[in-house]
Amino acid sequence: MAIAQLPESPKIHKLPLYKYVDAVRWLPPISALDRHAVIASFDSDSGSPAIEIHSISPSKTPTLASAYAPLSSRISSLKSTSFAHRPVIAASTHLGSFHIMAVDPADLSIEPVAEEELHSGGASCVDLVDGGVDCVSVGEDGRVNLVSLGEAQLKKARVFDANGLVSYTAARWASPSEFATGGYGFSLHWWDRRKPGGPVSQFKCDRVHEKASGIVHSIDIHPSRKHTCLAGGSAGTIFAWDLRRQQQPIILSGVGMGEGVTSSVSESEIWEIQYDRSISPSNVGTRMLPVMICSEDGILAVVKEGEEPVELLAEPCAINSFDIDRQNPSVRGNL
Amino acid sequence: MPGGAAASDSGGGALVPLSSERPPVYPLRHSVGRPVSPRVSVCWARGSSLRVSILQQQSPAGGEGGAGGEVVEVKLNGGDGEISDAQWRRIAYGSMSPFAMLQSRRSSVSALSRISPSPYHVDWWEFVMEYSKDINALLGSSKSTPASVIEDPKAVLKKSEKPTSLKAAWELMELFYADKLSQAWLPERLIDWLADYDSLFSGSCATVHSELVDFQNELINIQVIEDNPRYWEVIGSALAVGWLEIVVKLLHLHGSYQLDQLSSRETENGLVEAVAVLISKMPRMRLELGDGRLGECYKAKPDFIKAWERWRARITKLDCSAYWIKCNHLQTREGLKTLLQIMLGNSNGLSSATYHWLELYVSHFLYVRPFTVGLESMHGLAQKCIQLKPVPRSQKLMGLLLGILGENTEVVLAECSKEFGPWMVAHAIELMTAGSDEAESLLCEEQYNLGELSIQELHRLVYAQVLSSHAFTWQIAPVYLTSCMKQGMGLLEILLCKQPVQHNELLHKNLEICRLYELDDVSSHIMKIAGVHHWKLGRKGAGVFWLQQARDEVRLHKIAQQLFASVGKSISDESFKQWEGLIELLGSESKTAGGLEFLHKYRDFKRFLKHIHDGKNIEAARQAVESLMLLMKNPSTPQRFWLPLLYDSLILLNWQDRPLLNVAQTNLLLNRLQELSIAKLRPDFIEADLPSQALSSVRLALATNLGRAILEE
Repeated sequence: MAIAQLPESPKIHKLPLYKYVDAVRWLPPISALDRHAVIASFDSDSGSPAIEIHSISPSKTPTLASAYAPLSSRISSLKSTSFAHRPVIAASTHLGSFHIMAVDPADLSIEPVAEEELHSGGASCVDLVDGGVDCVSVGEDGRVNLVSLGEAQLKKARVFDANGLVSYTAARWASPSEFATGGYGFSLHWWDRRKPGGPVSQFKCDRVHEKASGIVHSIDIHPSRKHTCLAGGSAGTIFAWDLRRQQQPIILSGVGMGEGVTSSVSESEIWEIQYDRSISPSNVGTRMLPVMICSEDGILAVVKEGEEPVELLAEPCAINSFDIDRQNPSVRGNL
Repeated sequence: MPGGAAASDSGGGALVPLSSERPPVYPLRHSVGRPVSPRVSVCWARGSSLRVSILQQQSPAGGEGGAGGEVVEVKLNGGDGEISDAQWRRIAYGSMSPFAMLQSRRSSVSALSRISPSPYHVDWWEFVMEYSKDINALLGSSKSTPASVIEDPKAVLKKSEKPTSLKAAWELMELFYADKLSQAWLPERLIDWLADYDSLFSGSCATVHSELVDFQNELINIQVIEDNPRYWEVIGSALAVGWLEIVVKLLHLHGSYQLDQLSSRETENGLVEAVAVLISKMPRMRLELGDGRLGECYKAKPDFIKAWERWRARITKLDCSAYWIKCNHLQTREGLKTLLQIMLGNSNGLSSATYHWLELYVSHFLYVRPFTVGLESMHGLAQKCIQLKPVPRSQKLMGLLLGILGENTEVVLAECSKEFGPWMVAHAIELMTAGSDEAESLLCEEQYNLGELSIQELHRLVYAQVLSSHAFTWQIAPVYLTSCMKQGMGLLEILLCKQPVQHNELLHKNLEICRLYELDDVSSHIMKIAGVHHWKLGRKGAGVFWLQQARDEVRLHKIAQQLFASVGKSISDESFKQWEGLIELLGSESKTAGGLEFLHKYRDFKRFLKHIHDGKNIEAARQAVESLMLLMKNPSTPQRFWLPLLYDSLILLNWQDRPLLNVAQTNLLLNRLQELSIAKLRPDFIEADLPSQALSSVRLALATNLGRAILEE
């Protein structure tokens, strides 16, 4: 695991954890001084997955603050937000269960709020609306679910069920009523809660030279540019789909993506993609905002449109996940 | 884990040391009959644990619950306690890239030397040295913790983290095999090595280090230090093994240095200081001395011999000095005299000042035979010392050191393997092959009795097996497997094919490794497995995707037939959105789809039909006709769809304003209908799920259309 200070001189701190780390998120700050991270871990010796909260400081090994173990399988996706002054965690597992947990600010204990079997097997992905508890959950079984945490009980609704004909591997809110999903064949779907019955708009990014296609693993949408859906996936592919110019993707990186793409940040799976929030959108003009990625071949890098990617880390093992602290833009990858 | 195999010296005959806590025993509620039971079954469980099941026969009374037997999971990573599992993994990951780097350098150097042998000649050992330094850094830092600002005057020993015997062994191998610069200074390097690792021997016998530690603990309670016989003993011991800084520091604690006593003990103090100065001026033949190290460094032998003689002469002179009589303090006089004897190489003095043979050995290099060169004479001296002093019991490093000194490659290899496990052997062989041509030929030559493998390859394979047995480390095994010329690639393919495909991360890691090593066959094999796995679990889209990636026409064709069966019924308006995504995934016809590209056109046809609505939209109708003709012409359109397609197109055939299909088109459709009625006679014909009058209404519509078309033309 590493924390890097950006932008000038990346300072890398490796904080070893003796478990497999499936996903990592910063916990919304509880006090001004402490920083906490929530980690989806997996102990391969005992075969037990867990969600853990660690207190993080650059010099020390992370200290475990609390853990939540009753999970049916490994975590496939993890998100955190703040709701009613409490950190809230949403997670989905490889067996299709969906969990919402609240963190007690006093002792950092994790309290389960809701647990549902929303999907029938296959990895699934969740995303939380910023500062709310509307949650979209998609899965490889082709179901798209919305879960909202009301006053007392959970409201869940199935937006769509593709019966496995289409699998969804990524999801991201664009606004409180719109979200995007990604899946096999570099496909992106755009959904609107107000228009049920199916995706509002569809897009498929085809590679130019190679016949093989890929999978979208992660999507990000910048709050200031809600019409652009950024996706990262197989073969180092990063592309953006502008809803206003439907069939013309902006390709930032990728193997076999055609003439315009000269450099590829990685040749492997891009597991996570996020806008680099340390750079304000006003400085960039009309170009794509800089993005940060992590990949299967162990690369953590910043990619800008029309420039060589800046590698921050090149590890001998995969980087599964990273998160950018919005209050203090430092980065974290995990190994 | 690698640590598991090395733990042979504890547990009294147990192959695997069990941790103190008893593993849980699970009773078996059911039982199996003869001949399966009674039986003991042993198999691998999760991680590095072993599952032992004992199947018993059901006792006739059947009173006890656990009559069927018992199952116990034994963790195999008890290790030797020195290095934890997680630490081993860190070492495994860290040593991978230096190893890979060295291998790639080897191939480029050998390629280079084939082109032009001499001009670019690089000293191979320098690369090996770099590799060795990288790995040494991984095994722990030998640097002492930074000294505090205020130095404790009574802290004789520097605090440093506890060294591991693994690191000690690695450094030993490095200095004897890889570091060509140290070859002329081997004895001096060995002295330094012992200074770093003497504490490792403390467990099994007394050592200078342990005596120093004990004395340092007592130091606070001692009033008059020079009266204490232990003080002089410890100084003598430290001097014998050459820890000059500690000796001088200890001498400076002598009471005569205290200001209030300086005047009354002037002679005594002069003698102590004279000895301290002599010690700090000791000539050493070596490349360099580190900062703060005492002694004088000589690189050339003649200079050293001169300095050495001069130094000895000064010691002898001091020994015979008249000042000794004036020294009133008995212990100081005796103690200093002993130190002088040690410096003069008195064998009795050295023997009584040291605790085990290695310390005696080192003291001989320092004071008796400073000109020792060559492994043969070093080995002879070692044999002599072993006879005089005890050998630390069960110490991992002894066998290794004697093997190295005896120039016996097999022994060194066996010791590495026995004491430090497969990681050590696989990595240390690089040092050994750099050491001598003889070792290289032994280790790299193909051996008939190893199945044409070399010893080097065999040990890499063993290490790779260890790595691949653990979920955390299997992904670095390919680096080692690919460095094995004979069997590596075969085993790598097996390893990759055996990984489960259920987990996406694992699947992608697997494919990534295939991509790195250009194993296209394996990767398409894995994709096929993944495709079928997803398909079977009802994730049709994912299944089709992976089979497409694998270009598996055969399986795609098979699942296409299954899909068509459901398409005929379900591609109705409400489920159209579900299919839409799958059809989108299939993409345009240029891609591998195994008959599934039919769906793409079918979707287009349906879409146009939907646009016609009320029979007004002539443009949509034209497009619908076009795609109908494409579908009917295309050989990949399954026969069973012909009638439903025609039935769906009744609106086109009966278009009110004018006939949409020309004569040729209508004839083609009529031909298809004809073929269909012949096909009906075949046993494998599948009847479409349509109203009974469908065929006749299509026939009628076609005939009408033909008539109208002929009239129009």
